[in-house]
Amino acid sequence: MTVATREHDPSGAGGEQSLGGDGRDLSANPPHGGPPPAGGGGESEFEFHTGANRPTGVPDAIEFIGVHKSFGSNHVLRGLNMGLPEGQISMIIGPSGTGKSVCIKHIVGLLYPDEGDVIVQGQSIPSLPDAELFEMRKKFGVLFQDGALFGSMNLYDNVAFPLRQHTEKSEEEIAEVVNRRMREVGLGDAGEKMPNELSGGMRKRAGFARSLVLDPEIVLFDEPDSGLDPVRTALLCELIKEVHEENGGTYVVITHDIMSARRVAEHISVLWRGRIVESGPAAELFDSENPFVRQFLSGESQGPLGME
Amino acid sequence: MVRNAAERAFLPTRNLLEEIGDMMILTGRTITSALRPPYPYGGEFVSQFLFALRLCWFPLLISTVAICYAAPGLQAANFLTIFGALDRLGGIFVLAAIREIGPNVTAIVLAGVAGTAITADLGARKIREELDALQVLGVDPVKNLVVPRFLALMLVTGLFNVYAILFGLFGGVLAELVNGQPLGPFWDTLFANASTTDLWGSALKTTIFGAIIAIVCCYKGMTASGGAEGVGRAVNQAVVVTFLAIFSFDYVYTQMLLATHPNILVIK
Repeated sequence: MTVATREHDPSGAGGEQSLGGDGRDLSANPPHGGPPPAGGGGESEFEFHTGANRPTGVPDAIEFIGVHKSFGSNHVLRGLNMGLPEGQISMIIGPSGTGKSVCIKHIVGLLYPDEGDVIVQGQSIPSLPDAELFEMRKKFGVLFQDGALFGSMNLYDNVAFPLRQHTEKSEEEIAEVVNRRMREVGLGDAGEKMPNELSGGMRKRAGFARSLVLDPEIVLFDEPDSGLDPVRTALLCELIKEVHEENGGTYVVITHDIMSARRVAEHISVLWRGRIVESGPAAELFDSENPFVRQFLSGESQGPLGME
Repeated sequence: MVRNAAERAFLPTRNLLEEIGDMMILTGRTITSALRPPYPYGGEFVSQFLFALRLCWFPLLISTVAICYAAPGLQAANFLTIFGALDRLGGIFVLAAIREIGPNVTAIVLAGVAGTAITADLGARKIREELDALQVLGVDPVKNLVVPRFLALMLVTGLFNVYAILFGLFGGVLAELVNGQPLGPFWDTLFANASTTDLWGSALKTTIFGAIIAIVCCYKGMTASGGAEGVGRAVNQAVVVTFLAIFSFDYVYTQMLLATHPNILVIK
């Protein structure tokens, strides 16, 4: 155990208590950069959270501003301030259970923040009326954790679904787009297969194809590497990079796999305990002095993060 | 301390009230999106309707014949024998089979057979994030999944009620035959007591039962969480909540029908 190096509140005060203070004290952790909050006292839980956002030189496509979200008594996002740059592959990395998937659901408006705001391309997602939110969602492609393919349709129909739903394209045009995307992800001849006949990796690739058919401006990946072997993970990462080079757009990848981060990321945000520890261009973060960032990005057992 | 205790007692109550409120909101959204164009749910409606029909017709047949033969049939016949009034069984079957047992057994079978299937199906889709994917792809799950199930279950439950009444009466006929009675007096007292109010009252009641089953089961499926175990829990809760809701509604409905149509209180 690494008790000595951990910053656990020795008084045994639960996270909830110190949180009350944090929630009100947003000014200590401004959206972009700014001085790190004073450590100690109720803030000791966040002593490594400098919240520093190293400049990328690119405007942010997606911004989280002081977002709080609880599920029952589980306070997942605790004043999250995060910016994800336009046109780059950003990675949100952090230990399990720190609210990474919850972030994605906030971006597409499947969850609403209890407090704070989520801004995508200048529009506040939580305050959009339903009709506009549906329009907005056409700009998104989302790859869910297990692909989230529709079990009642074969792969071809799954990939064609967004086109049939949102465009007036003829079946020939749809077939052209779908086949191109399916070939791109290496599933050119699997169109007739049903999702339950596929391996996890194939389901993910099919989900990826489906998320791309509408040529989205923003593509979100929820743990594309979970449940895949290292080789498949590497191949999927290559694929993400290739597709990004070809199509451009803002890609947001959620992962806790450092190898994937090294391969793909142009921008990294390290999330822990519902807040950003540090964020910035990938190369700079890998050289960070922050003990938590260093521990997590090198995958060491010694450091601020323990088994809790 | 006091605050803690109060919160502990208050929290389950609040959750319960919130859940009931959510179901009411879902009902409202289902009805408005069923009426407002476009209407993309035709295919799903037909498949859900046939699905419920295929799954339920046999369990319902067995259940209604058996319970009507046993409960109002054998038990009431035994009682009526004291007065030598076995012909009155027909009149009792209007009260028992048409007004209560038919609708309630239909609702129980539909909830247990079709309702649980709906919860398990939607719950599994929720767990696999299919429902989230649908929403992101711009498909409203209420319009495309809840509305067809809601309409199909209302229609199928209403129609099955007729079927349940017929087989329930068959149970009564069996009871008469077992007691060595002629069937003429049975039909005579039955039709003397039966009124159109009984029939439409029964049909309307089961249609609303169908709506209750659909809303509760869809709601529980769509809010399932926590993996495969969560789907199991959702199915279990769906059945419990459906039964509570159906029987409570049955009481309110019966009381209202009797108050507004006192003529059906008269035993002829």
